[in-house]
Amino acid sequence: MAILVGGLGCSHVPSIGAALDKGLMQTPDWKPFFDGIGPGRDWVAAQRPDIAVAIFNDHGNAFFLDRVPTFAVGCADRYEIADEGWGPRPLPAFDGDAAFGWHLADTLVANSFDPTVLQEVEVDHGLQVPMELFWGRPAARWPVRVVPIFVNVIQQPTPLPSRCYAFGAALRQAIDSFPGDARIVVLGTGGLSHQLQGARAGFVNPAADRAFLADIARDPEKLASMSREDYVRVFGSEGAELIMWLVMRGALDRAVRVCHSHYFVPASMTGVGMLVLENAAKAI
Amino acid sequence: MTADTIPDTPMFDRARQLRGYRLNKATMALRFPERRDAFRRDPAAYLDSYGLTAEEKRAALACDWRELVRLGGNVFYVLKLSAIYPAKMTEIGAHQAGIEHETFLRERLGKK
Repeated sequence: MAILVGGLGCSHVPSIGAALDKGLMQTPDWKPFFDGIGPGRDWVAAQRPDIAVAIFNDHGNAFFLDRVPTFAVGCADRYEIADEGWGPRPLPAFDGDAAFGWHLADTLVANSFDPTVLQEVEVDHGLQVPMELFWGRPAARWPVRVVPIFVNVIQQPTPLPSRCYAFGAALRQAIDSFPGDARIVVLGTGGLSHQLQGARAGFVNPAADRAFLADIARDPEKLASMSREDYVRVFGSEGAELIMWLVMRGALDRAVRVCHSHYFVPASMTGVGMLVLENAAKAI
Repeated sequence: MTADTIPDTPMFDRARQLRGYRLNKATMALRFPERRDAFRRDPAAYLDSYGLTAEEKRAALACDWRELVRLGGNVFYVLKLSAIYPAKMTEIGAHQAGIEHETFLRERLGKK
């Protein structure tokens, strides 16, 4: 059966993508962030996952308000790079893994989660930025296949944090029951604290961000039991997307070890984090 | 959540979704190069083709971010106006906060 090699968490701020495109990684604004991503990239290079199950949200590039899936699973063999308004970024399209996508859809429905099943769908910075931070920018082809899970974190009602955590457990069941010996990593994206709308725009909460990075490893139930309103209050209206990290965490064992944790604020208007977790029971 | 319970924090709920539907549709379409070209050729005609009201058009043409959000715009859609009229995210934030940009960077985001 497939092997779960670990869980990753990562912000997906578009300005990080712009910094990568413009080569600004060593400028004073960006150096403290990019200096801290090396261990995450090294971990991925050493673990060589075959499949990355990436949990993120669309930002008005794939879905309009005419249809808003709460959870959607990519079951395609290819995902093109979205044009978000400034032309597609210079990245190769992602190879998908339709077999795992369909197996995940089957397993989710068998566990009373009913996702939208996606074929042709473009992916935006929500997926691109975390993938590039962990895998680097490939010249021609990504060294890993991607299975995207889209979560609605924009239009109310958004899913409960506890539901995201339980979704992760069903995802784990899909990994453990997937025939073959694929090495699978789960990647939760978004956050950390930020607010882009209203007079409270520019709200960041570095203390809460640092606590989140610790709690997601040692006390995920605490984060899963918070209300959606709690997330908005503590992390900002857009920082509430941190519930997507709970899908990743729910796929791991209760006991994990932290292989890497990095925090920086602000990237544009956002506190940004990178986290690498492994099941504590996994042989080192 | 159906009402704003956190001060100065507009949740994108049913009322805003309905209020901002056309505005969000018009701005999301700017992800297509041919729609961007159409906007650049004739901004008012572009917005008319999505049935925008006079006040929605005014807000879009002026990049009045605070007003766009008040009219039901969600930042992830209306932000695409900045592909036509360049603006940084922090400038869009400062405008909504009603604070001068440099002050916003310093006081809200802790920039030196």
